[in-house]
Amino acid sequence: MTSAANDVEFRSVSKRYGEVRAVSDVDLAVPKGAFVALLGPSGCGKTTCLRMIGGFEQPSEGTVLVDDRPMNGVPPYRRPVNMVFQHYALFPHLDVEANVSYGLRQMRPRIDRREVARRTGEALELVRLGGYSARKIHELSGGQQQRVALARAIINRPSVLLLDEPLAALDRKLRTAMQIELQSLQRELGITFVLVTHDQEEALSMSDFVCVMNAGRVVQMAPPQEVYDRPGTLFVADFVGKTNRLSGVVEAGGRTLRLADGRALPVSSQAPGAVTAVLRPEAIAIAHGEGDGLAGTVTHRIFLGNAVEYAVAADGIGEMLVTADRSAAQTLADPGDRVTLRFAPESLLVFPT
Amino acid sequence: MSKFITKPITASEFTSEFMRLKRGSVTRRHFLGITGLGLAAAVMGRSGAFSLEAHAQDLGTQMSLATWPNYHDPATFEAFTVKTGVAVEVNVFGSNEEMLAKLQAGGTGWDLFVPTNYTISTYAKLGLIDPLDLSKLPNYDPKTETPRFTNEGIIDGKTYAVPKNWGTTGIAINTGKLKTPVTSWKEFFELAQTEAGGRVMVHDYQLTTIGNALVSLGYKFNSIDPAELTKAEELLIKVKPHLFAINSDYQPGMRATDAWMTMCWTNDGAQLNRDMPEIAFVLGKDGGEIWSDFYAIPTSAANKPAGYALLDYLMTPENAVREHIANGAPTTDSRVLALLPAEVTGNKIVYPDEAALTPLEFGAAVTLTDPARAEVMARFKSA
Amino acid sequence: MTAAFVAPAALWLAVFLVLPFIAMLVFAFGRRAPEGGYLPAFTFEQFLNLPARATAFGNTLLLAPVGALLCLLVAYPVAYYLALRADPRHRLVLISLIVVPFWTSLLVRTYAWMYILGSRGLPSLLEAVGLPDIRMLNTPGAVLVGILYGYLPLMIMPIYVSLEKLDRRLLEASADLGARPVATFFGVTLPLSMPGVMTGTALVTILLLGEYLIPQLLGGGKVFFIGNALVDLFLQSRNWPFGSAIAVTLVLVVVVVLTVAMRIAWRFAGTRRVDLV
Repeated sequence: MTSAANDVEFRSVSKRYGEVRAVSDVDLAVPKGAFVALLGPSGCGKTTCLRMIGGFEQPSEGTVLVDDRPMNGVPPYRRPVNMVFQHYALFPHLDVEANVSYGLRQMRPRIDRREVARRTGEALELVRLGGYSARKIHELSGGQQQRVALARAIINRPSVLLLDEPLAALDRKLRTAMQIELQSLQRELGITFVLVTHDQEEALSMSDFVCVMNAGRVVQMAPPQEVYDRPGTLFVADFVGKTNRLSGVVEAGGRTLRLADGRALPVSSQAPGAVTAVLRPEAIAIAHGEGDGLAGTVTHRIFLGNAVEYAVAADGIGEMLVTADRSAAQTLADPGDRVTLRFAPESLLVFPT
Repeated sequence: MSKFITKPITASEFTSEFMRLKRGSVTRRHFLGITGLGLAAAVMGRSGAFSLEAHAQDLGTQMSLATWPNYHDPATFEAFTVKTGVAVEVNVFGSNEEMLAKLQAGGTGWDLFVPTNYTISTYAKLGLIDPLDLSKLPNYDPKTETPRFTNEGIIDGKTYAVPKNWGTTGIAINTGKLKTPVTSWKEFFELAQTEAGGRVMVHDYQLTTIGNALVSLGYKFNSIDPAELTKAEELLIKVKPHLFAINSDYQPGMRATDAWMTMCWTNDGAQLNRDMPEIAFVLGKDGGEIWSDFYAIPTSAANKPAGYALLDYLMTPENAVREHIANGAPTTDSRVLALLPAEVTGNKIVYPDEAALTPLEFGAAVTLTDPARAEVMARFKSA
Repeated sequence: MTAAFVAPAALWLAVFLVLPFIAMLVFAFGRRAPEGGYLPAFTFEQFLNLPARATAFGNTLLLAPVGALLCLLVAYPVAYYLALRADPRHRLVLISLIVVPFWTSLLVRTYAWMYILGSRGLPSLLEAVGLPDIRMLNTPGAVLVGILYGYLPLMIMPIYVSLEKLDRRLLEASADLGARPVATFFGVTLPLSMPGVMTGTALVTILLLGEYLIPQLLGGGKVFFIGNALVDLFLQSRNWPFGSAIAVTLVLVVVVVLTVAMRIAWRFAGTRRVDLV
C-alpha cells in the first residue's frame, strides 16, 4: 500500500451511454480510511461512480485513481477494491464457506489450504457467522446473507470496500443494527468504505462524509452534520431532511425577507434579491393560541412517540410542517386549534432563485 | 439426360427427388410429354365411357396403394382420378418383408398392393388376401398371360393375385467409372473389394443380398442350409467395409455417381440406363433372381370397389403399356407386348435372351419366414 | 379441480405411453409366430437372445453419449455467445436462425445433407479447386455431421436458457473477487449452467439411443444401432417378441441414464431444486 492521502480520486470523470450522460465532470477525493456515502435520487449517477471504482464501467473521460494509481482499463480482478453488491450476488451453488473463501482461492500464487480455512473462519467470526460455514446460501436469512457478502468482500483486505445499497433489502430494525455493525467494522478494519444509498438517514448516520449527487454531478461533499445544517443548494436542503419552503424577496439591507403576502420576516444578513427560504420542521416552535409570530390552524397531527409532527395551515403562507419534542409540547395541539409558530432568523436557510 | 451428372442439384431437382421418395418416379413425366402419351392419356381419360358421377358414388373419393419406389407413372393415377374421381395415395416400400409386417400389424388402409411372387402363398395362408373376384376385372385376361409368371398368384385353382410385370435382379454398373467388366455375382463381390471399393451398394433386403452372396459362392439363391448361410455371411461381412451403402433405394446414389455399382432390379436398370447410358445392366451368369410382381387386394381393404377399379384400369392394355414404358420392367401380358414400341421390346435389359434367364431362380416362400436368414442379415448389418 | 387439469395429460400418458409399454412387456415374454408376429407364451428366451444384438447395443451406447458430448462441445459456445455476448437486439434473429430449420422435417434436412456430402456436393467443389475427390457420404464422419446438425438446437436451447437466467452480477462478483475470466467461467458460469447442460445432454442422449434415420441415410445403412435393429425386427423379420425385448431393455437403459444424469445435475447445482429449463 502507498501512503497516499486519498484512497479514491475522480479527476474530471464523465460517463456517457450513447447520448445519455450518467456522470458529468465529477471531481472527488475520498480520504484514506474514510466512510463516504454517495447519496442521491435514483439515476443521479452514484451507482455508476461506484461501478467505475469497481472496474465494471470505464469512464468516458477523466481518470479514476485508487491508491493514487490510475485505474483506466484495469479489469475488476486486478483492482485493490471489493464490493458488496446490491442483493449481495452470493454464489447460489456454493456454501457459505466457499462463498467467503472465493477471493482467497483466486490468489496467485495459491494460498495454502489451511491458511484459506483459517482466514475464512476469521472473516466469518468477524461478521458473527461462525458455525455457518456449511450452510447453503438459500438457507440463510436476509441479514445472514448480507453478512456473508460482507465477509466475502473483506477477506482479500481491499484498500477500498464498495457497498451498493447494502441495507436496502433488510427490514427497518435489522437495518439499524447493521448500520452500527458496518460502522464498527469499518473502524476495526481501517479500510475506506464507499457506500451508495438513496436513503439520507442511512448516509447521515454511518458516514464521515456525505457526497450528495444530482443529475450526474456532485452537488456537495461534506460531513453529515454540515450537509444537514448548511446545505449547499436548495436541492441538498430538500433531499436531506424535511423542509418548509417560503418564497420571497430579501430587501435592501439584507435583514428582511418580504413574503408574497407582504409579511416581513427577519433574516440573518443576506444579499438582496428573490430567494427561496427553507425552514427545518424541528427549527419551529409551536405555541397554543395566537401571539407574536406566524398564526395558523393545525390540520393534522402525527404522533411519533418521541416527537409529534403537525401540519399547520399558516395564515397567508400555506401548509407548514412542524416537529415538536414531546417534552416541549406538554399538552398536544389538536386539529382545528389555533397556534403560533416561531423560529430564529438564523434557522432560515436562504437560497437565491 | 447428362444434366444429372454435370449440373449441381437445383431446388426443383431436389423437390422432385424428394417426391420420388414419397410416391415413386416423377422424373418420367416429361417423357410422356415428349412422346405425347401424356396428352393422349388425359384426353382418353376425359372422354371415357364412364360418367364421373356414377362412379364417384360407388368408389368413394380416396384409395391407397402400396408399391415399390420408381414403380409407376404418376400420370396413370392422375388419369385414373380424372376418370373416376378417386384420388390414389401411393405408399412405397423397400422390401416384401416390410409390406408383410405392415399388413400383419393391421390398419394399413391399403386397397391394392404389389407383392412379389414368393410372398403370395404366405399372404394367403395368413388370410391377409382373399381370392380375387375376376368378374370385377373384365380387362384381365388369363389367356394372354405367361403361365411362368402367373402361377404363383393361383393357389388351389383360385386367383389371389394377378401379375403386374416380371423382372430380374442383376447388376447395374457405371462403365464410365469402372473399367473391369462384371458378368457374375462372384465378380461383383470381388470387384466390390478392389477397384469398386467404397462405391458398391447391396440391397437392405435379405432375399437378394443373401441370395446373390450364396450364388457367388456356388450355392442356391434360396438356400437356408446353415453351413451355406454361414459362408454367405462370412463373405458379406468381409465385403461390408468396402461397401458404399446397404440400401434398396440405390437410384439416387447411382445417379449422383456416389455409387458405381449396385444390385439392381430390371426396371431401375432400364431407367438408369435410359437416363445415363454409361450405366449398364447385366445378369449374373452364375445365377440370381427372376421374379414377378403381382397386384393383390388385402382382406382388410377399406375401399375394395376402388381397389378393383384401379386394378382393372391397370390391366387395360392401353393403360398398362404406359406403365411399362415408364417403369421399364417387362410385361407378362402378350396384349401389352404387342402394343409396346420396338425400342422397348428390343431392349436387352428389359427383355433379355432366354439363355441369360436360365440360371436365374424365383425366390422361395421359405426365405420370407426363415429366422436364420433374418439373423444373418442382422449380423451383416451390425458387423 | 386439480384432477380436472391433470386428467388430459394422464389420459394421454396412459394411452400413448403406459398401454404400449405394457403391450411391449407382454410381447417380450412371448414367441415369434412361424410367419412372423407374436405367439402368446411366457419365456425368457427373447431376453437370453439379447447378446445377438450386442453390437447394436454397443454402437448405440457409444454413439449416444459421444454424439451428445460432441453436440455439447459445439452447442455451449453458441449458447454462451447468444446469452452473454450477442447484442440483445440481434438475439431474436439469431435464435430464429437456430430454431426455424426445426420447422422442416428432419428427413428432408437429412436428405439435403445427402446431396451436400454426395459427389455432386462438397466433394465436387473440392475437386473444382484442385483437391482430390474424396468420398464424404456414407462415412462415420457424415453420420456425425448429421447428428450434430440434427440435434444441435436441442442442446443449444436448454443451455441458452440456463445461461440467460444467469445473474450477471454473479460474474461481476467473481471478477471483483479477483477471478480472471477463465476462472469465472469454470467457477461460476459453468456450474450454474449445469442444469441446462444436463437437460440438453440427457435429451440428446435419450433421442440418440433411438436414432436410426441419420445412420441409415448418411451412413449408408452400414452402421447398425438399436433403432435400426428395432426397425428390422419389426419391419423385416417381423420378430415382435425379440423386438419388444430389445425395446424394453432400451427403455430400462434410458431410465438408468436419466437417473444418473439427474443425480449429477443435482450435485452440480448443489440443490434439489433443479429446474429442467
